Amino acid sequence: MKRLLNSGFIAMLAVMLLLAGCSGGAKTNTPAGDSSTPPSSSSGSETTPPAAAGGTLNISLYLYPTKLDPKYSVSIAEKNLYQSLYDKLLDIDKDGNLIPMLAEKWEISDDKKTYTFHLRKGVKFHDGTDFNADAVKFNFDRYMEDDSAQKNALKSVDTVTVVDPYTVKVQLKQPFAPFLSLMIEKAGMMVSPAAVKKYGADFNNHPVGTGPFMFKEAVAGSSVTLEKNPNYWQAGLPKMDQVVFKTIQDTNVAFVNLKSGDVDITDKFPYKEIDSVKNDPKVTLINEPSLAFEAIYLNTAKPPFNDKALRQAVDLLIDRDAIVKVALNGAGVPGHSPFAPNVFAHGDSDIAAKPDLAKAKQLLNGKTYTFTLKVGTLPSDQQTGQMIQTMLKPAGIDVKLEKVEVAALDEQTKSKNFDAVLAYWSGRQDPDQSIYDWLYSTGTMNYSGYSNPEVDKLLDEARAETDNAKRKATYDQVMAIVQQDVPNVYLYHVNNTIGVSKAVQGFTYIPDGMIRTANISK
Amino acid sequence: MAYILRRLLLTVPVVFMVTIMVFSLLHLLPGDPASVILGPDATPEMLAALREQLGLNKPIALQYWDWLTGVLHGDLGHSLVNNIPVIELIRQSFPATLELTIGTFIVVVLIALPAGIIAAARPGRLADYSSSLFALCGMSIPHFWLGMMFIVLFAMKLGWLPASGYVPFTQNPVTNLSAMILPILSTGLRESAVLMRMVRSSLLDVMNADYVRTAYSKGLRERTVVLRHALKNALVPVVTTSGLIVAGLLGGLVITESIFSIPGFGRLIVDSIFKRDYVTVQGAVLVSALLVIFINLLVDLLYTVIDPRTKSGRGAK
Repeated sequence: MKRLLNSGFIAMLAVMLLLAGCSGGAKTNTPAGDSSTPPSSSSGSETTPPAAAGGTLNISLYLYPTKLDPKYSVSIAEKNLYQSLYDKLLDIDKDGNLIPMLAEKWEISDDKKTYTFHLRKGVKFHDGTDFNADAVKFNFDRYMEDDSAQKNALKSVDTVTVVDPYTVKVQLKQPFAPFLSLMIEKAGMMVSPAAVKKYGADFNNHPVGTGPFMFKEAVAGSSVTLEKNPNYWQAGLPKMDQVVFKTIQDTNVAFVNLKSGDVDITDKFPYKEIDSVKNDPKVTLINEPSLAFEAIYLNTAKPPFNDKALRQAVDLLIDRDAIVKVALNGAGVPGHSPFAPNVFAHGDSDIAAKPDLAKAKQLLNGKTYTFTLKVGTLPSDQQTGQMIQTMLKPAGIDVKLEKVEVAALDEQTKSKNFDAVLAYWSGRQDPDQSIYDWLYSTGTMNYSGYSNPEVDKLLDEARAETDNAKRKATYDQVMAIVQQDVPNVYLYHVNNTIGVSKAVQGFTYIPDGMIRTANISK
Repeated sequence: MAYILRRLLLTVPVVFMVTIMVFSLLHLLPGDPASVILGPDATPEMLAALREQLGLNKPIALQYWDWLTGVLHGDLGHSLVNNIPVIELIRQSFPATLELTIGTFIVVVLIALPAGIIAAARPGRLADYSSSLFALCGMSIPHFWLGMMFIVLFAMKLGWLPASGYVPFTQNPVTNLSAMILPILSTGLRESAVLMRMVRSSLLDVMNADYVRTAYSKGLRERTVVLRHALKNALVPVVTTSGLIVAGLLGGLVITESIFSIPGFGRLIVDSIFKRDYVTVQGAVLVSALLVIFINLLVDLLYTVIDPRTKSGRGAK
């Protein structure tokens, strides 16, 4: 009997191993002795000698960074990783001011159409090739190609010319105030032209930039490992030997990994744990306003939302304070515009009126309505949806909630197959980048089908103006109109919630919410 | 031998059907890869260009045909999302799932066999009740919850084991094993509950058979009767269940892999479905289907060893 069991089991094992053999073994890469991820202890302390900084920093991302090439990236998790892999022409400091990065200084012509960048000298890409004006032109041209996800961001750019090896001129079609702010985004990230030419479509699996860390390996769906760039242009940086970006989709799982020391920084934090870490000896929570907005897009092209009275009533019935308190556990700011607190256009236009049932009923004039609200799969989305359902009911508006998985929701939104859909935009430094494409008649993200010539004119004016005070006044005018028309119901601005282990030193929160690793040690 | 050949030949239409079904189902899902890849800011022109580039504008039948001819040439194609060869993605993700499967199966055999035998040999006694209670708990407790509890207890509170941090065994066996203990235990406990009940009930059936009574009446000791006479026959359905368990595990332990951040086969399939990466899903499902068919074949072959009745064509099934 035992023999039989054994032989059966061994046969099974043999078959499995055989199959494993067919599919190849694991990847061999790190030779033993190299700094592999240390098995963590509960204290999260490093096993490497404390002689100098070094060791491995583990960061968890809630999405796997599939695209390591900024040209094709649309995900915020990828943008987070890029901060370590690529430098940008400009960056921002902790107060949100633009600061030099690969461009040491820049000038703007009087007609606001020509931007001249003077580049930092002596910078090399990870493959040893020089960073210079040719490389900048190459990157601009590449980001403007038809298949580029950054094409829309650079729509205003006409031509890019190399003046001398360290000077580049960017000529715009018309004045475009947000241009500089886009240079801290993916469109301003510099990749190695030599590597692009060498690897072609496979550049995604051999990404090369000038950043503090260089690409080492990627395990699809699981982790991306970067190693120290020994020739980084900022003296003494980076401090770590290695950064591992692990994908942990569930924020609760990321949180326990943070608590146990298996992860040092998490890009998202479970809202319900916010109170539990107030006096935690091991974990700090960064809970800061972001640039994002959450809104309900209303399909104004068909019933019931072709009815302006209904749109206004919905806007008036929602208690945003309650939603932020419950669905986000306070990790957000109630909002009434696309402008988050860190955007200069933010102000009175972002304050919603108190919910007013009597006035809403008056607007609806005794009529009852039914519509379907499509929401994503995040718990906070679900809760937001349920609360809105409850808030609208007393006015005779019956909301059906439909939970839709992300890829399907994406398609249904784009094809305008919805009555109302709960949507999120991660936001940008410049207000134009959170409003223009949503409310302009021909905007790429105008899913509500809104069209108002007056708003179009004002939006064009605002992006051509460089004086921020004047721009804010124009955006205030836009919002005054939009809040009457209500193509979208703006709800709140969710905070960036970043979990940081107390073992980590040198982490600075930057208002774009991205994790920058060059200065971090542990 | 002829039997094996016949069985192998039968797999061809089965696999064919499976791939056609998966392909059709995937394309029925709303959402398309181009849209996922390009995100919310994509213009209709960009989407159209990318669909053209990925070959998504061809008729579905033609897309399937392209894929099939590729497979017959030994080429599973490239991921739509990041252009990595699908075979490479499977190669990367399979060892983790295989290790999880083997480990889980060892745990299952070590727990379920003894517990099941003891429970059946002492029906209605404490040992039986406690084994049954264990089985009930094992089957009722969701293993994602158990996995989370293990992390909270062993990683967060006690700090004995890591909560994540899988590396391939070949790269660092110690790190690998320490990261695999919790996931293996959390799936193993559940699966062993399933198998234990199987062992128990099938052994109880046999214990009431005439030949077992005969053996007892010959004055043989209980131990001999159970282990020598009864167990061999009782194992027939157990082997089937084991085969199913292994096949199921190899198909991917999506939840376990997600909770413990293990880059396994199950996660590859699920992530690819979310991204509408048709090519990767097809390749992974093909491999998965082949595995299941193969294991079933193996189980049937094991039958012929365990249960002589199957040889004569009077199937015991």
